[in-house]
Amino acid sequence: MTRWIVPLLVFIGTAVAAWHATLTITTFGLMEAAVRRVSAKSELNVMAYGNLASPANQPIVRPSPDLAYSTCPFNLSAGPLLINVVPVAGRYNSLSVFDGRTDVVFVRNDVQAGGKPFKVAIALAEQKVPEGIETVRVRYGRGIALVRLLLADPGEIAQLDTVRRQSNCATIRS
Amino acid sequence: MKGWHRIALALVAGIAMGVGGAWYRIQAGFDDGRLANGPWTTALNYGTSGADSVTRASVALRGILALPSTETVYWNATTDSEGKALDGGCTYVMTGKALDARWWSVTYYDKKGFLVANPANIWSFSGASVPPAESNGWRVTIGPEKVEGHWLPSAKGQGFELTLRMYNPGNGFRAAPDKAELPKLNKERCA
Repeated sequence: MTRWIVPLLVFIGTAVAAWHATLTITTFGLMEAAVRRVSAKSELNVMAYGNLASPANQPIVRPSPDLAYSTCPFNLSAGPLLINVVPVAGRYNSLSVFDGRTDVVFVRNDVQAGGKPFKVAIALAEQKVPEGIETVRVRYGRGIALVRLLLADPGEIAQLDTVRRQSNCATIRS
Repeated sequence: MKGWHRIALALVAGIAMGVGGAWYRIQAGFDDGRLANGPWTTALNYGTSGADSVTRASVALRGILALPSTETVYWNATTDSEGKALDGGCTYVMTGKALDARWWSVTYYDKKGFLVANPANIWSFSGASVPPAESNGWRVTIGPEKVEGHWLPSAKGQGFELTLRMYNPGNGFRAAPDKAELPKLNKERCA
């Protein structure tokens, strides 16, 4: 019976390690897949103004058909990212920034912004950002910035599209 | 059995147990909310660094890019108010009142979390659809056949899930989300 003590300990240790590895790989893998999917039709570090979600247009799982999504998949390897957001008055809209582990590292809605445009930089710990710019430091260099805009009716997108396209993102070149 | 055979067997079994167990929990985790209210379940740590690794992986699989509960609360329902699995071939009546949030909506998804095509191109029902006269009591029919009044089409032959989004939930709701008055889901009939 003592012959099985070591194998039993190996089994327990391997199972625990495999459990944690699976959870970690799944989380980071799915986020990376999302970054690649939303950047497939545009570019990294550029804001894409997506069409409304429908059965024929679902770049990510569980999209809301009531929101217009603008996405900025980012890669900070070339420098920090600067995001400019122009809120659309009188309706819910927000900027949220997701890191490579899917955590929300920044969120601000139109009410919190006082209905005014704002800028925020996303940077790794060691990256320099021009003074005076609100900066969020992240642990992982890839992620997605997402601007949500609520539509009372899908037809509203035609009149609001010009305003939402004033929000953008770009790498800060030193 | 030689010693290295036992070690090899332990390694293989350990990997299988760890990977299989984690994947099972990831699949089940989204419906295994820590907070339940009628048929609706949620967790208030989606999208936060405080989320445990199972919740984080489950949300990545079933609802990636979810906002934290300070901004939005996502309730998910896979059953009706009697605990029976939601079936697209059945007709349900969802009733409720104006919710304590800046904006709310209920969206119909298939079991994998994707919108389902229907001839009416209707996939959600939101507070914007509720006229002031119905703020104290609205009713929407969820079923495969079009009805008078508010209607959310379902797809025959497959199960479905509903996601209730509450954007900028009010302080009253946030104080006791498990006691909030959320929509009820009652089955009327099945085809």
